[in-house]
Amino acid sequence: MRRYSRLRGSAPVVLALLAAVLLIPTSVPRSAGAAGQVTLNVYINGDTNIFDLWNKSLLPAFTKRYPQYRTNMVALLHGNGGQGVLDKLIAAKRAGRTTDVDLWETEPSIVEQGIPEGLWVKLTDKLVANLAKIPPEKIAATQGYGAPYRGSSVVIGYNSAFVKNPPKTFDDLVAWIKANPGKFTYCDPNTGGSGQAFVSAAIYKFVNPEKFAGSAYDPKEESAWEPAWKLLRDLQPAMYNNGFHPNGNVAVLQLLGQQNIYMASVWSDMGLDFYKRGLVPKTVKYEQITPPLFGGDSTVTLPSFSAHLEGALTLLNWLLTPEAQELVIRDVSGYPGVDWKYMPESVRRQFADVAKPYSPLPNAKYLADIKRLWHDRVAAGQ
Amino acid sequence: MNEVVSAPRPRRGAGVRRGALGLALVLPPLLVLAFLVALPAVTAVIETLTPAGGGGPTLANYARVLAVRTLRADIVFSIGITLLSVAVVFALSYPLALYLRFSRGRAARVLGVLFVVPLFVPVVIASFAMITFLVNHGLVSTLLYQVGVRAFPRLVYNGTGIMLTQVWVNIPFAVLILGAGLQAIDDALIDGARDVGAGPLRTFLAIILPLNAVPTMIALTLLFIGVFGSFTIPYLVGGNAPAMLGVTMTNYLTQYLQRTEAVTIAVLAFVIASVVGAVYVASVSRRERGAV
Repeated sequence: MRRYSRLRGSAPVVLALLAAVLLIPTSVPRSAGAAGQVTLNVYINGDTNIFDLWNKSLLPAFTKRYPQYRTNMVALLHGNGGQGVLDKLIAAKRAGRTTDVDLWETEPSIVEQGIPEGLWVKLTDKLVANLAKIPPEKIAATQGYGAPYRGSSVVIGYNSAFVKNPPKTFDDLVAWIKANPGKFTYCDPNTGGSGQAFVSAAIYKFVNPEKFAGSAYDPKEESAWEPAWKLLRDLQPAMYNNGFHPNGNVAVLQLLGQQNIYMASVWSDMGLDFYKRGLVPKTVKYEQITPPLFGGDSTVTLPSFSAHLEGALTLLNWLLTPEAQELVIRDVSGYPGVDWKYMPESVRRQFADVAKPYSPLPNAKYLADIKRLWHDRVAAGQ
Repeated sequence: MNEVVSAPRPRRGAGVRRGALGLALVLPPLLVLAFLVALPAVTAVIETLTPAGGGGPTLANYARVLAVRTLRADIVFSIGITLLSVAVVFALSYPLALYLRFSRGRAARVLGVLFVVPLFVPVVIASFAMITFLVNHGLVSTLLYQVGVRAFPRLVYNGTGIMLTQVWVNIPFAVLILGAGLQAIDDALIDGARDVGAGPLRTFLAIILPLNAVPTMIALTLLFIGVFGSFTIPYLVGGNAPAMLGVTMTNYLTQYLQRTEAVTIAVLAFVIASVVGAVYVASVSRRERGAV
């Protein structure tokens, strides 16, 4: 009983200590802010390699160059929680308040949903000088609301222990899948870009890719996709597990790693990363087919009512300098966001083989419909 | 309300004060219910009844959603998988609950501890465990292969996988509710039945089953709503199509960017769940009346 009451007596002290511990981390940046430093909150969607890229390379390099800024990265693994962040932004915007989200690397669909709400800064060369170095069509693909700072493309990963003559074209690939039932799959397009790329490749076989990549959107044009749905539906019985498409880019690479399948469509950067970390056998190789699968640029978007807009613009402008772009290439085997001609000669030579062209990504609305129609016409098989 | 409390009538005032205290106690949960459940539900229903171009309320959104064959398949699939899962859970849980109630041996005590284990395993981990267990190159297929079975059925990434995982996850919950009901049955009744010569089956049918009817209904309805509204298990263990409604809704909202459709499906799911919810409310109020 006495012990109990002694414990009770010490409870306020424990609580006070706990409160102090909890308060210290928040109070430090605040006092530093008073000395003229601004903390930028950077929200990043991605896998762990992208978090490392920001946390260990990009952000330290940025704060070294611009000491007036501190940075705080919020990691959204595979974009988890993105919808919540979007809701938070919309709520703040409607309430007429500023937001603590200063820069966000996110998916086109999130950007798309925020446009009618007026959430994002419309990016121009005047606001961000280095934006001029990005090929204009890449900016146009985001309607000016996203700045591409790194790219990657989907390639075919195959296990050379089982596949001696990898397919060179999309038609070869289809023939290989039919000849080797159960040994290929692509991820559910609802859960990963590598699956969307394979589905888009089937669509691009029958239509002009450029037509669906720009900002134009007319659902009537989608009737031209029917032959692609038929092609994909016919392929279903030859897919892994009689037509199963796993959830996410990683799940497909795991199947490749476990040798359940011998070939799959995978992201170039993730595939190389899995290879480097020994998560797929050393016999796994990657190659691009003709016509190439789609590639995409990961973009960052700036909320227009952020409390530190000037800092966010500074960070974005720096992100598009050769200094930052070389970090992207070095750390994640990504392609630069800016045109290759702005990269140093040595980098251009080194990446001459990697920097192959890729098919354009369908715009966000067409992509949303591709996912829905795929589910309807291919997975549900009507 | 304050004036009533301060009114100079001590005897009634005490009653009112107690009433006010009761109201104050139920107010927080009531407010949470109103703002987090009722209000969004009402807004959702209004949203689905409002046509895109403006104008009076219409059922056009429901007609459009129900016209999609895949979605109809998803609804049928969801209900089917749910009923099947509940049936299997029930068929396994009831004998287990009976055994735990009426057996005194060491085996019963061990089982009484073991059966609750799944309650302490997070659903997401249980799902991954089931995948490793049931997948092509998993434990079950390897064992079957060892004993010479070459034709291995697909046990995950389809309805079977969802059903098996739901059963694993839900059995302890069902046994707990059914067991609590069985505990409430007086031993004297059973002894009495035995004394007048009733066998185990007769005792079960005439005494135990009717007396345990209300907890049984409660277990069934809660199981139905739990399985029907699940997301994690169908997302991880299920196939691409048909999908259960939780997965479908998420896809419509975040992947297909069709918010209204997502909300419409949500309202439909809510209607299905509330039909079952009505059974629950009826059962509970019947128990309350029985208690009086």
